Amino acid sequence: MSETTQSTTERSTDQPLQTTNGETAEEARSEWVDYQFDGQAKLAVESLDVHYGDDHALKDVSIEIPEESVTALIGPSGCGKSTFLRSLNRMNDRIESARIDGSVALEGEEIYQDGVDLVELRKRVGMVFQAPNPFPKSIRDNVAYGPRKHGDIETGALAKLLGRSDEEQERELVEQSLRQAALWDEVVDRLDDNALGLSGGQQQRLCIARALATDPEVLLMDEPASALDPIATSKIEELIHDLAEEYTVVIVTHNMQQAARISDQTAVFLTGGELVEYDDTDEIFEDPESQRVEDYVSGKFG
Amino acid sequence: MAGATRSALVDEDTTHTDAVAAVAAGLATLLFAVGVVALFDVVSLTDPIAGVPVVTLVGGLLVLLGGAVVSFGVGSRLGFVATDPRPTAGLIAATAFGLIWFVVGGLVASQTFGLGTVGWTAAALVTGGGAFLLTALPREDVGSTLPAGAVTLLAGLVFLGGVIGPSWAWNLGWAQPASFTAGFVVPTLTLFCALLSGWASAKAYGGFGASGRHAGAYLLVYLNALAIVGVLFALVAFTVVEGLPGLLREFTVGLGAGPESTIALFGSELTFTWPFDWPFVMNGVGLLNDVNGVLPAIVGTIWLVVGAVLFAVPLGVGAAVFLTEYAERGRFTQAVEVATNGLWSTPSIVFGLFGYAFLIPRFGGGKSLLSGMLTLGFMLLPLVVITSREAMLAVPDQYRDASVALGVTKWQTIRSVVLPAALPGVVTGVILGVGRIAGETAPILLTMAGGVFVPGSQTADVVGGFEFTASPPFVANPELLQATSALPYQLYALITAGVGASGNVGNPDQFKWATALVLLVVVLSFYAVGIVTRYYFRSKLHE
Repeated sequence: MSETTQSTTERSTDQPLQTTNGETAEEARSEWVDYQFDGQAKLAVESLDVHYGDDHALKDVSIEIPEESVTALIGPSGCGKSTFLRSLNRMNDRIESARIDGSVALEGEEIYQDGVDLVELRKRVGMVFQAPNPFPKSIRDNVAYGPRKHGDIETGALAKLLGRSDEEQERELVEQSLRQAALWDEVVDRLDDNALGLSGGQQQRLCIARALATDPEVLLMDEPASALDPIATSKIEELIHDLAEEYTVVIVTHNMQQAARISDQTAVFLTGGELVEYDDTDEIFEDPESQRVEDYVSGKFG
Repeated sequence: MAGATRSALVDEDTTHTDAVAAVAAGLATLLFAVGVVALFDVVSLTDPIAGVPVVTLVGGLLVLLGGAVVSFGVGSRLGFVATDPRPTAGLIAATAFGLIWFVVGGLVASQTFGLGTVGWTAAALVTGGGAFLLTALPREDVGSTLPAGAVTLLAGLVFLGGVIGPSWAWNLGWAQPASFTAGFVVPTLTLFCALLSGWASAKAYGGFGASGRHAGAYLLVYLNALAIVGVLFALVAFTVVEGLPGLLREFTVGLGAGPESTIALFGSELTFTWPFDWPFVMNGVGLLNDVNGVLPAIVGTIWLVVGAVLFAVPLGVGAAVFLTEYAERGRFTQAVEVATNGLWSTPSIVFGLFGYAFLIPRFGGGKSLLSGMLTLGFMLLPLVVITSREAMLAVPDQYRDASVALGVTKWQTIRSVVLPAALPGVVTGVILGVGRIAGETAPILLTMAGGVFVPGSQTADVVGGFEFTASPPFVANPELLQATSALPYQLYALITAGVGASGNVGNPDQFKWATALVLLVVVLSFYAVGIVTRYYFRSKLHE
């Protein structure tokens, strides 16, 4: 991957341009195409199209996401932000009617090709959902769920019997993940209580801890604070800020102030599933190139 | 204040009238309870309470209730009582009261005054139409109290005046000997009047209008729920009362009172004596027994249920996992759904016939415990599939998403997230199914049951029956291939063949009720086990 990146790469000939509104797409491309950043691109998306049945949800999206930074995706409801996010770890595969064309590369490796190990992909690209969704299990079981199922940690009865139990390792992992998610101090005394007894904000941080426990490289967040009150939200925002030192965070949000506060770069999607502009967050909010984006971020539209 | 368009936010002077209406509603509830009790013969109509026969007492209470309701309505209309009625009681109430009074008028005209068809029809039309108009036209406080109170008054006077006494009967004069007796009519009429007047007085208590309608509906729903609980309780209590004497016959407690049992474990034999003797559940039927019992049938029933559950639950849950998690929604899953629903509605005798024609020839040609287990297992299977499927569909998709997004495979997701969350629902389904199959008679009759009266020596010893051999098939269990009995079949056999059985079982009636009681207890025990299991799985999800 080149140092400075451009996304005008020729598309492969077997994939004809699928925009229904060619002009707008060209226009959009000319607006964000100049965005350049230092450092490595973690994810490189090229001409991504997603259809749900007859619905063209995402139109010819190309974008490169730098590593160890926070990238915010903003835009009005139904503009394809979440669809885009779910394409990055192939969660859209779970929707029967979804059809995905284009290319997504994780550190240069194409994830939409035969032979991709979805388990490995989703271990490396973790996800936090809009509504907190802890399992109806204990806090400890929630955090240790991923590593246990991946066989990284063995605590079963047989492992205990054979003296191979990794309880100590699990304890450390649970503590480390909960500390990373800034939840440790609040739950240290009740790790064996059911996670459903936590408050909404705590549940969401638990979900983040659960995602971190599998040691991902990229963390996808789909409006992680939309169901939370301002205090819980600010905790989550601080957390995202800290996480960006180690992880590549991609976050969808409805809240433009939130995007402005926490992200390094911002991509603006507008109705119809187009990526309209992608630039440094400051640029997007202070001096956007497109009039539509300016209208949107200043609240005139959307 | 009556008829005011706006009522005060805080009523201050309605305490007394509220009390009258509350007493009337309480009286209605009491009469309802008396009616239920009398209907089930718990009290007899001629029994005196404080020197007054029940029927007279009921009559007096009805008159009191009817009077209270009527006077409340009239009082409200005349402005003595502060209420907030609507302009009319409504068309539904009017139609209901019209019908009620049509019947009342017709019955009184034809039965009491002996009028002919034309006469009673005219009388019925007049009273019915009158009641309709009386309900529909005046204000709500009169419309909904007067017709109800009048019915109650009339019924009370009829009971008081001895028109319908304890020995009264109305012969319908049909080809079949059909008649209404006082034992049925008095409690039923009491129930009916209590409901009507209870509704009216609850409305009055709420001051008519919207809150009055709410109070009336509340009372009806509440009494209805009480009646259902009451009927269930009466059924269980009746069985217990009838069954206990036979069940506890010659029941003794004391050290060394019971029979000796031997448990053989790894070559060492442990012999002990039961600290109580309970012949009915410890004996079979035998010539030399002092008290005959149903031990083989109890053991047979328990093994039947255990076998059927062991067969149906893994298969059913597995099918449900496939249908909900793997199969794509479409024609196939719809077809399976229709088929399982249809199978669950299939009459049990059809399953029995299938077992008789298909299973029995494959298991040695004779009726056997194994055939019975499998037949009941087939019966249980569709319900397990249906309820497990529902339970799994009810597991939120976000659990699955969360698990998959962590890179966990589908099967591990099902095993660690979906199944635990669905288990309480699955257990509920199994409880329902067990309740049904444990009481089935027809399939057992065809596939499993041996003689009517099974000697104690034929008690199925499934655990002890396993035999291990050095050559294939390595394990055998003749006990499973033996005909045995089960409680519902035993009951059926006693009832149909009971006449000739008196010599065998002493008092056949006692024996029957005791068997029924034991069956009830066994089924309820399975139910209790199921509830505890469900509670356990649920608490694991929520603690």
